[in-house]
Amino acid sequence: MLSRDYRDIVGGGLLIVGGLLFTWYAATHYELGTLRRMGPGMFPTGLGVTLALFGVLMAVPAFFRQGEMPVIRIWTPLFVLAGVAAFAMTIRPFGLIPAILAVVVISSFAELKVRPVSLAILCIVLCLIAWLTFRVGLGLPIAMWRWPF
Amino acid sequence: MDIFSNIAIGLETALSWNNLFYCFLGVFLGTLVGVIPGIGVLSAISMLFPITFYLDPTTALIMLAGIWYGTSYGGNTASILLNIPGTPANAVTCLDGYPMARQGRGGVALLMTTVASFTGSTIGILLLMLFAPTIAKYALSFGSAEYFALMVLGLVAASTISDGSAVKGLAMVVLGIMFGTVGADIYTGTPRFSFGVLELTDAISLIALAMGIFGVAEVIASVRNVHPGDIDRESVTFRAMKPTKDDMRRSWFPMLRGSSIGAFFGTLPGTGPSVAAFMAYAMEKRVAREPKRFGKGAIEGIMAPESANNSADQTSFIPTLSLGIPGSPTMALMLGALMIHGIAPGPSLMTDQPSLFWGLIMSFWIGNVLLVILNVPLIGVWVRLLMIPYHLLFPAVLMFICIGTYSVNNSSFEVWLVVFFGFLGYSMRIFDFPAAPLLLGFVLGPMMEEHFRRAMLLSRGNFSTFIDRPISAVVMALTAMLLVWGVWSALKQRKRSRANLAPDPAGAS
Repeated sequence: MLSRDYRDIVGGGLLIVGGLLFTWYAATHYELGTLRRMGPGMFPTGLGVTLALFGVLMAVPAFFRQGEMPVIRIWTPLFVLAGVAAFAMTIRPFGLIPAILAVVVISSFAELKVRPVSLAILCIVLCLIAWLTFRVGLGLPIAMWRWPF
Repeated sequence: MDIFSNIAIGLETALSWNNLFYCFLGVFLGTLVGVIPGIGVLSAISMLFPITFYLDPTTALIMLAGIWYGTSYGGNTASILLNIPGTPANAVTCLDGYPMARQGRGGVALLMTTVASFTGSTIGILLLMLFAPTIAKYALSFGSAEYFALMVLGLVAASTISDGSAVKGLAMVVLGIMFGTVGADIYTGTPRFSFGVLELTDAISLIALAMGIFGVAEVIASVRNVHPGDIDRESVTFRAMKPTKDDMRRSWFPMLRGSSIGAFFGTLPGTGPSVAAFMAYAMEKRVAREPKRFGKGAIEGIMAPESANNSADQTSFIPTLSLGIPGSPTMALMLGALMIHGIAPGPSLMTDQPSLFWGLIMSFWIGNVLLVILNVPLIGVWVRLLMIPYHLLFPAVLMFICIGTYSVNNSSFEVWLVVFFGFLGYSMRIFDFPAAPLLLGFVLGPMMEEHFRRAMLLSRGNFSTFIDRPISAVVMALTAMLLVWGVWSALKQRKRSRANLAPDPAGAS
């Protein structure tokens, strides 16, 4: 139990900062126009202000109530996102199979436990499934293997 | 009669071999996704979204819709047997379904919820057939002011009625609209918020956003949290499924009440099956003669929500197909599938594309019959699926997310967007920001901006256009009422939680 609801205070604060940054960027980079003939900047400017207002509505009452500390995981999201990022990096230069191996192997570390045998079997099965559905079944024009060097 | 010729057109479309196959594929995948906790309907639909590029629009929609209503059938399996909701819409079913399973009546519960689901869907489809054409006829006279007002109503309803804080929901709607502004401006062509990145001048991809915020974020939250449980296999044999006379007698009225509540909440923009199921349960508890039985395996407590969520699944197509305004993120994805094929959703859809509209509706009947077949005799197969450990499942889900996103444009940039939105989605969970309003705002945002600017242009910059026009005024008044109600119920809730906290300050769980 926290003495204040810091989760909503920080969340509201982020909304305020994000909203104001958005408004500032829109107002300085795009033409506002008039209410009758709006330019590209008018609608986003209004949106940013609205978001910041909601941030205030969220953060202010949070100062006057107790809150709970949310559970924040660090390693699980890191491995999952790193897996997806590895796919993005490998798919172009190396092709589909290496990219699948990258996402499957890296993301399974998110369990924080390594099971080498079941991981190897999973990799083989998933590559097979992907080849069958996307290449044989749907005929997508994605290279399976590529050697960039 | 006009309706019979429409039904004939629909049946002709829905009964073609190709459409039958994809209808089956849709409901099959829907059940699969529903049974397995940790994969939601949205991530399933976004994973399969790229496939729809290769299909005829009608077929694509039939398949996506099958996944949508199929999950409600499959979702109750995990709720009843494991006390884990397969999908959020089945969460209430846990309350009485799991106690039934503990009492050895899991088989009865599984069979009867399938009956309830089918009844709910039937009523929902009938209402859809009756009301959608009528609404579409009126909607033809709507101008930009009306459309803008309706979208505001939908977005406000989505964020105030659903669970959680209304302010957070509204903030996420606004954030979603902001992401929607990225890309070329509709009137001037100025690239907005592209920061010099070529791929961003073309708007953020809906699929990358949905896959990141729903798919990846869901995986992150479920890893190491979802465990396959112990299941009593005896309870899912045929013999254990036979309901008693008492069960049948008790089920009739909850089913009918549940279906009507579901139908109502399905049509409201922003609500949908989860809210419907919850309301139906609350209603049953209120009208019951012995409310004490609820929570201890009362059959009414599973029949009402299960018929409500299916009925809502079907009626949510009413605003989507007749107005072109999606009431939920899933419906937004379906409209996305139509738009990709160059079909403009809106009131003229029914007259321009009668075979698409009626074919889709007729496929609902077929899909529901298929679902009954899939769920009653084959229940054992699904139950075995519940035992697949999640550590094998989630890498597969991530692989499908990656390939699905990449294959849309063969662009690795969009996979990077998934990483970004996955991070955003998980951060939003930490701050308890709801994700569904964001997606809804993202889809409706560009349409809203277009109608808003056009309405202002026509009214020469005068805001009163939104209250001078009668339909728009009524819709705006409803929106205002919803906002007031949202604030009022938030205040009431806070008072109650304060009252709860006062006597037992250490009672936090």
